Amino acid sequence: MSRLFKTGPHAIQANLTPLIDVTFLLIVFFMLVLKIPDLDSAEMDLPTPHDPVSELFGDEHRVVINVLPLPGGTASGYQLGVRVFGTDTESRKALSNALAEQYRRNPALEVNLRADRSTHYSWVEPVFQVVRDAARLSERDDVTGRINLVVSREP
Amino acid sequence: MVVLRTTRGPAKIRLNLTAMIDVIFLLLVYFMCNTDFKRSEERYRFDLPPRGQQADPFELPREPLIISITSAGTSYTIRIFDEPLETFEDLFAFLDEKRIRASTGGGLYEADYPIIIEPARTTRWEHTMDAFNAAARARYTNITFAPPRSG
Repeated sequence: MSRLFKTGPHAIQANLTPLIDVTFLLIVFFMLVLKIPDLDSAEMDLPTPHDPVSELFGDEHRVVINVLPLPGGTASGYQLGVRVFGTDTESRKALSNALAEQYRRNPALEVNLRADRSTHYSWVEPVFQVVRDAARLSERDDVTGRINLVVSREP
Repeated sequence: MVVLRTTRGPAKIRLNLTAMIDVIFLLLVYFMCNTDFKRSEERYRFDLPPRGQQADPFELPREPLIISITSAGTSYTIRIFDEPLETFEDLFAFLDEKRIRASTGGGLYEADYPIIIEPARTTRWEHTMDAFNAAARARYTNITFAPPRSG
């Protein structure tokens, strides 16, 4: 008779409690991390063109400029990343400077322009000028000055 | 002789369902939260003209195709060469028909013919983007925006 198994063979059991704990912590971590990129996109109704020929986003480095909408087709300001700028001339200059700083770090940077479908063109068009000014202020010749006009596929 | 048989019979392999349900529930919550973050956003690439771009002195000047868009509430009017068009589908059909095709030889404008979208100050952004989409859909590649037109 074996002396090793007097009370029968040992059952191998995995302790699932720490496994669940770690899984839970990982889930919380990824949920928080995934929220960060979302902070630079303001809530708005994007245009939904009929039969669009728009394309999906690639892996390019980009920043987001939101034209923050107000009722009546106006805008309360421009949001670059998480920073909000006003609509007056001085604020637009500050926006250009902030973008120029980013162009200096990465000349291939692309700008995602997000504007509400109801916003009037006179509030959106200054962003083009801001990007032009930022490219000039960056004093780099290799700035592409590319703008991605963001639309929604959802009706 | 070695006998491994125990008095309680062979050990039964049992699955602990409680822990599995916990993990599945947590994964479910994770994916539900994650779905909210995913946006169905897409883009049109638009390159601003390069700084200090000089016109080719040997190139014949080309009168750009100007598309005027005006919004009145949610309705809109489109004019191209002062000719009104009803819908953005009409605009697409017009532009598509006028584009030169290598296969048939017909058409008036090359794909890189300059197209300027000229919205009014109060034109809604969705109508501006509809015009841009119509031109891009007709496979024109040189599309720009004019400063806001008064009126």
